[in-house]
Amino acid sequence: MMHIPLKQVKLSTQMSEAISEVGSSTRRSDQWSQLLTDVGINRSKESFAKLFKHYAPLIKSFAQSSKHEGWFPGLNEDLVQEVMIKVWQKASGFNPEKASATTWIYTVARNCRIDMLRRKSNTQHLPLENEDYWHEPDEETPASLFQQKRSESKLQVSLSKLPKEQNEILRKVYLEGKSHAETSAELGLPLGTVKSRVRLALQKMQILVPSEYQENDYNE
Amino acid sequence: MNNKPSHCPSADMLVEFAAGTLDTAESICVSAHLHFCPHCRGTLHRLEQIGSHFMEKNCEAVSPRPTQTSVLENQETLLESVMAKIDAAGIDEPAQTTSPKGQFPPLVNKLIAATYEKLNWRRLSKSVDVAGLKTGQNKFEVALHRICAGGKTPKHDHRGLEYTVVLKGSFSDEKSVYKEGDFLLRQPGDTHQPMGAQNGECICLSAQSAPIKLQSFFGSMLNSWLRIRPS
Repeated sequence: MMHIPLKQVKLSTQMSEAISEVGSSTRRSDQWSQLLTDVGINRSKESFAKLFKHYAPLIKSFAQSSKHEGWFPGLNEDLVQEVMIKVWQKASGFNPEKASATTWIYTVARNCRIDMLRRKSNTQHLPLENEDYWHEPDEETPASLFQQKRSESKLQVSLSKLPKEQNEILRKVYLEGKSHAETSAELGLPLGTVKSRVRLALQKMQILVPSEYQENDYNE
Repeated sequence: MNNKPSHCPSADMLVEFAAGTLDTAESICVSAHLHFCPHCRGTLHRLEQIGSHFMEKNCEAVSPRPTQTSVLENQETLLESVMAKIDAAGIDEPAQTTSPKGQFPPLVNKLIAATYEKLNWRRLSKSVDVAGLKTGQNKFEVALHRICAGGKTPKHDHRGLEYTVVLKGSFSDEKSVYKEGDFLLRQPGDTHQPMGAQNGECICLSAQSAPIKLQSFFGSMLNSWLRIRPS
């Protein structure tokens, strides 16, 4: 039991750091990160209930926006339950240095949504669960590559400033679960146009580190 | 000179991966690459932030925060049901992540374990062996290719898409040298003749949507027998 007080000390340092951040949205999201950390370390049901009240409507609306073939409204609340159970089970793996609670819970929701669809549409045994695709190697990804603390609020601002046609495509991909090909068919745009709008959006949001372009040969 | 991969998936492929809309076989290849590439892992995390932003904004736009008593009561019931499931035996333990041991990225090890007790290599040419993997989809043939040290593969074109991720060793073609973690996409019209490195065998993960097309005269007679076997 000796390690628990140590972790709590670490947690309170994070809290004071969070408070010193400027901008209400950052502070708000950090509140959820603290609750999630509390669930992970102390298995606090009280914190979990607070997270549930905040995230259940978000997950539900994420489920409602799905345009996947085979998705129907009856699955919306199933998704909320499945995601929140996973959140409880996996909370100890949450690292606030790497992602905010909202981003972390988004990834859980994304994975659960796909798994539910795959289970529905497949009769054959599937060797992989969606989680397997996002396995982080033991070797830590350098923190500088995440730029989590500052970048999340900056990203929110730049996303809200995106031209409508770029925003629309990202919305379809992330919320409705459409591939670029499906998006192009639906909007009656060439696939190349869809891809270049996505790339323009990423450049505007500075999501691609410019040096990557120079160092790496991207497969187009 | 560093050991980081220098050939990466395109940005829009990473977007589809982050949004969870990429095909199974393509996702397997991207995931195997991410195992080796901290750069793309960083990009992926930023792309996931876009998803969380949309999840948040969508909720505000579509359904404002629940204030109606009925909605709140419903949420309360849902929470109770989740708590009941959590309290049920066994579920309180933090989920253990068990991945089968092996020399490759965990996802590939798991695929191998799900397919065979041992890899079932079959000879493709004098210097190339192949072992198919079961992935539960029917668009791509996913397999491991093994090129022996210094082995020359037949010159070929591509009738469909071919993704390759180097898992071990390195190989080269007319354009470049590809080492561990490198991600390649070949499309119809891309002709190449990969060669294994002199200093050891090279193992690659590949996903093909159509059989390759051999270029030599003798090979061209064999083309009609070449098949892909998605599983």
